[in-house]
Amino acid sequence: MSIVNLRHLQPGTRIGLSDGSTVEVVSNPLDGVWVFGRYLSAPRDASLVGTEEMIFAQDIVEIRQTP
Amino acid sequence: MTDHGDDVAHLFLQQKIESFLYWEAELLDERRYEEWLALLDEDVRYWMPMRRNVKFGELEREFTREGQDVNWFDEGKETLTRRVQQILTGVHWAEEPLSRICHIVSNIQILDVKPSASAPSEVTVKSRFLIYRNRVETETDILVGKREDVLHRVDEQWKIRRRKIVLDQNVLQVKNLTFFF
Amino acid sequence: MATGRRYRGGLVDLGTGLISREIFVNEEIYAEELERVFTRAWLFVGHESQIAKPGDYFVSCMGEESVILCRDREERVHVFLNSCRHRGMKVCRYDEGNTPVFTCPYHGWSYAADGKLVGVPYFREAYHGKLDRSQLGLVEVAQLATYKGSVWATWDPNAPGFLEYLGEFRRYLDLTLDGWDGRDGGTEVLGGVQKWLIPCNWKFPAENFSGDSYHNISHRSVDMVGIGPSGSGRRDMRERLLARRLQICFPERGHQTGVYVLPKNQPTPPAYQQSPVVSEFFKQCEAERRRRRGEWGRVTGSPGEVFPNTALHPRQPRTFAVWHPRGPHQTEVWRWYLVDSESPPDVKDFLRQYYIRYSGPAGLTEQDDMENWNYAHAASRGTIARRYPYTYEQGMGFEVENYEWDGLRLPGSVMDITEAKSSEHNLRNLYRRWAEFMDAEGWDELATWRTPAS
Repeated sequence: MSIVNLRHLQPGTRIGLSDGSTVEVVSNPLDGVWVFGRYLSAPRDASLVGTEEMIFAQDIVEIRQTP
Repeated sequence: MTDHGDDVAHLFLQQKIESFLYWEAELLDERRYEEWLALLDEDVRYWMPMRRNVKFGELEREFTREGQDVNWFDEGKETLTRRVQQILTGVHWAEEPLSRICHIVSNIQILDVKPSASAPSEVTVKSRFLIYRNRVETETDILVGKREDVLHRVDEQWKIRRRKIVLDQNVLQVKNLTFFF
Repeated sequence: MATGRRYRGGLVDLGTGLISREIFVNEEIYAEELERVFTRAWLFVGHESQIAKPGDYFVSCMGEESVILCRDREERVHVFLNSCRHRGMKVCRYDEGNTPVFTCPYHGWSYAADGKLVGVPYFREAYHGKLDRSQLGLVEVAQLATYKGSVWATWDPNAPGFLEYLGEFRRYLDLTLDGWDGRDGGTEVLGGVQKWLIPCNWKFPAENFSGDSYHNISHRSVDMVGIGPSGSGRRDMRERLLARRLQICFPERGHQTGVYVLPKNQPTPPAYQQSPVVSEFFKQCEAERRRRRGEWGRVTGSPGEVFPNTALHPRQPRTFAVWHPRGPHQTEVWRWYLVDSESPPDVKDFLRQYYIRYSGPAGLTEQDDMENWNYAHAASRGTIARRYPYTYEQGMGFEVENYEWDGLRLPGSVMDITEAKSSEHNLRNLYRRWAEFMDAEGWDELATWRTPAS
């Protein structure tokens, strides 16, 4: 697992989180710590799907799809 | 002209330009201000931008803009002449008594020469400076940065047509800028 | 943390006009000053033109502390302490920019531009969802005011509103902020704020700009070489020969300024004569100003001070400066320069070049001020020197209330120095107010205009 530099994540990128969720990047404040993302899937809690949250860098495990 | 001949021309030019910049420093350190002014082209631009702390990826906003923003200096020969005249009144208290000053000029690199090294009429040169200024009893300032100059030849002499001074500070750590870079 | 000193009548004795050197150099007094003056007064933070769009921010200062001036998504202006609520790290170490959030690099806490804590790593896991985020937004100033583009703030919820704080001094602040043609507001700051360190207590520059009319001799060298916009002196000075020169202060507020008042029906003398375009622009402005403002158009300001540490100069140059305290022996000066937003580019450029050769560390005028402040401060530190107070007696007793001249009434307590040439009326006023702040327990004692003496 390589460490992702969040500054490089463009809106539209799909990322996988440590809890198995998939999130699409909506916007990027370029602080290297957070991105704003929309849950596409959320095995831990289905009610998260479709919601937008701040996603923390250390919760991101992989880049699944670039835009 | 062979490559070797070109190298020799560049070597001579490097030596001439270095000599010029060292001579300029000598004049300033020896307080020969009027002779220093004579090294400046009549249309000289003398610019020292201020520097901002900016986010990575926004470095185009790091420097204040020449001709548009507030800068430390953004002036021509007339104002520089006034500065010298002010010092020479003997009652410019910020420079009376006169400061002791030492300009160390280093890392002199010729970035461009027109039309050629063997017959140069304009040179773009970058250098680094360390200016040590000591004043009254114990005031000591050390300023470090870079200069980007355009020199051109007028009547067989080099003159400074343009100087951009890049001081490596944000909040200025010295109370005044009564000296020349 | 009272030090048991008496300020009014003690270290600041306006009966004799003597002020102790201690107030400039004493560490305990300085600590008390941070608490009693800088947490309670209104301080200048920046200009709205620096944060024009949502997400724009400018990192500024209040007293010693770093603050963020910003505009949120709803376009509201805020001033926040630049310090994470978790462990204090600065949430913004850039000078200015645009951002949706301020994120602390230490533990990743993140704040929206309205100050709300919106990002806490492992909130569910490490905090078990138990952190009350609503209580942990960025610390916001108690009150904020925007006035004709200028932004002011105070940490004190009990302080009077900004306009009440100004009182009638507002009319003189307007001389800096209104358009030169007499319209309300319409000024903007030039890009680039000068910031530099000077080795003196902040009160030396503060008193100088309050109206030190006596130190012209120190600027003789710049007057001789002539950097003024008409080619001589350091400023256009002609109105001084024709006008009444006044020192005006507001004893209950602590603000003061110098002004020039031209006689009735005396047009403003030509200025900016090095540039016909600029000269003509200002000539039109002056005519329009008289038309809009009537008799008040005869008034031009010179250096002034909004208590405690915001200096203003309405004309040549046109500038705000804030003297940020950095310990008793050092001040960090921040200087903004203003122009009319709708003035032509040629005019703005001419003014810009003039401003920076006049003021700031490369300013041929300001350089001599700083040398004086530097060594006046240093001299205040000596054990023997401190036994000898400074005299601020000049002109004591010659002030006039309800001053009127040639059909124009000027609000404030006025010292006419046209013949006297100088007075320290305004400097006494600064220290009067400073001593009141240092002694007062609260605004009941400070807002004396609310309960006029019977």
